[in-house]
Amino acid sequence: MSEQTNIDDKLGQLQRAEVPLLEVKDLQVDFTTDDGRAVHAVRDSSFSVYPGQWVAIVGESGSGKSTSAMACLGLLPGTGKVVGGSIKLNGNEISHYTQKEFVNVRGSKMGLVPQDPMSNLNPVWRIGTQVKEALVANNMDVSHEKRSDLAKALAKADIEIKSEGDETFLGSKQLPELLEAAEQALVAIGVEGDAFAKKMEYFRAEWVPGSETRWRVADDLVKAGVKADDAWYIAKKYVTGSSMEDRIAGLLDEAGLPDAATRARQYPHEFSGGMRQRALIAIGLACRPELLIADEPTSALDVTVQKKILDHLQDLTDSLGTAVLFITHDLGLAAERAQHIVVMYKGQVVESGPSLEVLQHPQHPYTKRLVAAAPSLASQRIVSVEERGQDASAIMEHKVNEESLEKADTIIEVSHLTREFKLPRTKDMFKAVDDVSFKLKRGTTLAIVGESGSGKSTVANMVLKLLEPTSGTVTYNGSDIAQFKGESLLDFRRHVQPVFQNPYGSLDPMYSIFRSIEEPLRIHKVGDKKSRAARVRELLDMVELPESVMRRYPNELSGGQRQRIAIARAMALNPDVIVCDEAVSALDVLVQDQVLHLLNDLQAKNGLSYLFITHDLAVVRQIADDVVVMQHGKLVEHGTTDEVFLHPQQQYTRDLLDAIPGGKLELGLNLD
Amino acid sequence: MGKYLLRRILQMIPVVLGTTLLVYALVFALPGDPVKAMFGDKPVNEAVAAQIRAEYNLDKPFIVQYFLFLKNALTLNFGETFAGQPVIAEIGRAFPVTIKLALMAFCFEAIFGCVFGVISGLKKGKWYDSVILIVSLLLISVPTFVTGFVGQYFLGVKWRILPVTAGANPGFFDLLMPAMVLGSVSMAYIIRLARSEVSSNIALDYVRTARAKGMSNTSVTFRHILRNSMIPVVTYLGQDLGALMGGAMITEQIFNIHGIGFLTYQSILKGEANMVVSVVTLLTLVFVICNLLVDMLYAALDPRIRYA
Amino acid sequence: MTDITKPLPGQERYVAPLEETPLQTVDTVDESATATSMWSDAWRALRRNPLFIISSILIVFIIFVALFPGVFTKNDPNYCTLDNSLEPARPGHPFGFDLQGCDVYSRVIYGTRTSLSVGILSTLIVVAVGTLIGAIAGFCGGWIDAVLSRIVDIFMAIPMLLGAIVVLQMFRTITSIWKVVLVLALFGWVSTARIARGAVLSSKNLEFNTASTALGSTPMRNLFRHILPNSLAPIIVIATTSLGSYIVSEATLSFLGIGLPSTTVSWGGDISNAQSILRTDPMVLFYPSVALAVTVLAFIMMGDAVKDALDPKSRTA
Repeated sequence: MSEQTNIDDKLGQLQRAEVPLLEVKDLQVDFTTDDGRAVHAVRDSSFSVYPGQWVAIVGESGSGKSTSAMACLGLLPGTGKVVGGSIKLNGNEISHYTQKEFVNVRGSKMGLVPQDPMSNLNPVWRIGTQVKEALVANNMDVSHEKRSDLAKALAKADIEIKSEGDETFLGSKQLPELLEAAEQALVAIGVEGDAFAKKMEYFRAEWVPGSETRWRVADDLVKAGVKADDAWYIAKKYVTGSSMEDRIAGLLDEAGLPDAATRARQYPHEFSGGMRQRALIAIGLACRPELLIADEPTSALDVTVQKKILDHLQDLTDSLGTAVLFITHDLGLAAERAQHIVVMYKGQVVESGPSLEVLQHPQHPYTKRLVAAAPSLASQRIVSVEERGQDASAIMEHKVNEESLEKADTIIEVSHLTREFKLPRTKDMFKAVDDVSFKLKRGTTLAIVGESGSGKSTVANMVLKLLEPTSGTVTYNGSDIAQFKGESLLDFRRHVQPVFQNPYGSLDPMYSIFRSIEEPLRIHKVGDKKSRAARVRELLDMVELPESVMRRYPNELSGGQRQRIAIARAMALNPDVIVCDEAVSALDVLVQDQVLHLLNDLQAKNGLSYLFITHDLAVVRQIADDVVVMQHGKLVEHGTTDEVFLHPQQQYTRDLLDAIPGGKLELGLNLD
Repeated sequence: MGKYLLRRILQMIPVVLGTTLLVYALVFALPGDPVKAMFGDKPVNEAVAAQIRAEYNLDKPFIVQYFLFLKNALTLNFGETFAGQPVIAEIGRAFPVTIKLALMAFCFEAIFGCVFGVISGLKKGKWYDSVILIVSLLLISVPTFVTGFVGQYFLGVKWRILPVTAGANPGFFDLLMPAMVLGSVSMAYIIRLARSEVSSNIALDYVRTARAKGMSNTSVTFRHILRNSMIPVVTYLGQDLGALMGGAMITEQIFNIHGIGFLTYQSILKGEANMVVSVVTLLTLVFVICNLLVDMLYAALDPRIRYA
Repeated sequence: MTDITKPLPGQERYVAPLEETPLQTVDTVDESATATSMWSDAWRALRRNPLFIISSILIVFIIFVALFPGVFTKNDPNYCTLDNSLEPARPGHPFGFDLQGCDVYSRVIYGTRTSLSVGILSTLIVVAVGTLIGAIAGFCGGWIDAVLSRIVDIFMAIPMLLGAIVVLQMFRTITSIWKVVLVLALFGWVSTARIARGAVLSSKNLEFNTASTALGSTPMRNLFRHILPNSLAPIIVIATTSLGSYIVSEATLSFLGIGLPSTTVSWGGDISNAQSILRTDPMVLFYPSVALAVTVLAFIMMGDAVKDALDPKSRTA
């Protein structure tokens, strides 16, 4: 560890000696609306990034965090314009740059890793071609590595680089010969057996054409015991520069893409989201920029993939000496990855400083609010207002629930549920859900957790009888829901209601809020016109929305408000069970917190049972009594929330828990 | 790719069969007896009429007629006209003229449509964008025959730049004005299509990513914006090539070009059922084959289709 | 991570003064804004679009002319004497006379009704039939969709003009405008059906349908209450635009002498009659052509404006 501290000290000294790499002062960005009004998207914001540093900008959607970053690249969308303040890159003012001037700094000095991996690669070009574009656009010499001064300074002290030529890449043509020479060298110094095999395997893994440089090959050989002169002789003889194809594969390999040379010839649609994001990282870092702007680079990915990619990105930027401006909505992620943090709210910087300090001792009320709402492993199950109002024993009761859980009767029971889908154009069947069994007890919350493709939503749809199981049964109050038809089905629908993930999609845009909430009452022919209207008012009040919302349409409301409308609609018929399919996943932290509290209060008041489908373990901690962990359609682990979180039995569950960003950090120490 | 093509060809078969059947049904439901029409004013000789009916299979049930027609069509045997000329020979004379006209119109609309559309889309809101947009709106609104007359009057009669009509054996210059008239409406549609594609592609995420790589505006425009915008434009163009052949009827009529449209129209007026069916069948085939070509081109342009 | 002992210059702890960054309650509803449905949004966008203003003025005017041609001319369009053949304009006859000696101005005025009624009637039939078939195909899916889609493909493969001529040839003796209307509808329904199918397919897969089903709604109820209303926008757009193109088609068929009979006053027929005297008297051809072009232009501009207003991309969903 002392070595690590040593490097950190040196990094600190180097940073202190220099001016900030990026210095943004009093930045103002305006957008012009259709009717000519100016909207101030960013107001008087200042922040700076030093070489080799990770700086995070945190904020909810619409806070101006991405806009600030894009202003630095000169890539503001639409009518966006920098109207005040300064942006300095290496001391040069760039805020007034023309697009032509920006071309010279983009890619080579500043790179970008964008947010959505699905839309940021051009579907018609091969991955390799898109990497190549970055190299060609900046006239990169593909036979030699270009490193930032910081990386050179850091590296030189530890490993001796004899000359500039030592940054020459290994080419794929020379690789077999190099390996052969390495073999002979090892034999010559008498390495045999297991040790020999291990070392050769290490060489094969490390020596990636287009990525590995001469001095690193030499260094590896020296570390393996080869004499320095011999090692350098071999390295100089066989490491003579790479071709464009090698370099592209090397870059993709560095970004963590397996089998990079083959992958480079494929098209984006043949890649998964995680792989595309890796390709985008390779593109962003292709020309060795000093600053990488990472705009929510992993928000579209599963947590375990997110962790892998960010770990990799961090290793890579550390070794290259690249500074990273990291835009995120996730406080945990910011706390874990960045040294310095900038909190933005409605276009303004409300607080900034060393990340742990800011998040452990937030001062601005907004930061305090954010920290308090951020779900993390340390958080506990939300205790509803009513429970809190009662004496302490009541709170205890909700926690010491295991006993009562045992006693409570089962409202939904899923046993050996299996669902197969036919794969398109083949005869193969794909098991989306494979033999899943669990029980949902009355008045409690059962969370189903899993990553994309785990089959959790398929389970939800089968419980809702929107999808028929291939085999297995779902029972509601003891009767098999497969038998429900006509009247009995309508009765089942009345008691089991859904709240879906997408608050933009689950409300008909043509319906006013009143009609949307009234719809279930109409379908089930409850009450007359007047009593229905009264019920809608009551429901709006229940979800804490003003009555005037009734006359509005979904497109006028925010995501959180729509989700509350969806909850009101689900509550209209006084159901027993609500199935929440990723109901809070698309919402900002504060709004998510608000909706979770609402759900919890409703549960306490009405004795509802929730089947809560989510990919977010931190949310599970806040809302669930029982947890089911699913992976590839199978049930991996099933237990009470405390059991699963404190004593996970399966490796997969442990991986999921580990991957929660900032999971182990205690935030908001100064809050109650 | 191979599988994809095979599937497309298989899908083509019912369309060709259905279309020919529909056309055949429409034509042979035409009122009036084509056999009687052959005798003109002379009295009908029943024996000869029966012989002719047998020769043309007109005495057999409709569906049998259709299959016999289909069988003959496969060997390019479309029978004879009332005047005793083989239908295929007449078509053979007219077809090259129409192909020439359609190809010229195609080049005209493709080149000018793309150029103006792309300029318009890249510089949305500039004055020349508005001009291009208004002109394209006008071209869409004015029927082809009016455009034709306007062209004839100004280019042909008043300024005498181009010949007013083409005649029997038209050359490049004779067909220049007809081709422009024929392609004008499609050109306007291409302008609008290319414009909306380009202007919406400009704002796409991968274009921003390309700029962030440090690529120059020119290469971003060509490699990312235009390359992707061309996919729907090329699709439209391909389908239009087939439609141009069928749409040439008006143009050929106005400019007196003895092509396939002219032939069809004359045959319809004369009640030459055999000729009509043959020509429409051929045109349909051309249309369907053009669509197949479009599919292939589409697959070549868009890798997502290729592997689907 | 790096330790956090001393922040670098410019990175010291900073807390914005609260008065400069007022805190708002989480996720409040802006109660001051007026409620807007999709249609009222579209209407607001339309009102500001000059394309819409111009085209709607034109269309209102054209409809007025079609309904009350007598307001604009006292002359009988069918009163023609060879005495007046190719006479130039004179008071009461502002556009002069054609070869048969008919008053060009009154023929242009009376031709409006023909063109407009053919356009509107064809559009109504096409929208009804096309939407029905398209909606059935999109909603039912499976083999019904496969069969209907092939039928659409078959009709698509026949060039509209060719098909129309072949069919019209059969009914030369019928003089009603319904003949042209039905033929245009016969070959025009496919494009509307295609659009309707696509629209139904895409709104069928939206989440609110699943939500409604889970609330207890039946598939049929979903179709009429949710899917069809949400598919209307593209159908309205294609209907407006194709209205213009049906007017063109009618004129084209009449021009070829196979559409409306010569006894019906129509722009296409008049243009056809005037083509023989194009070299000497181009104005006789010019007036009906302009009338035709302006009418079609008005509907196509209207289609463009409606498309912009109803475009889901332009709406902040």
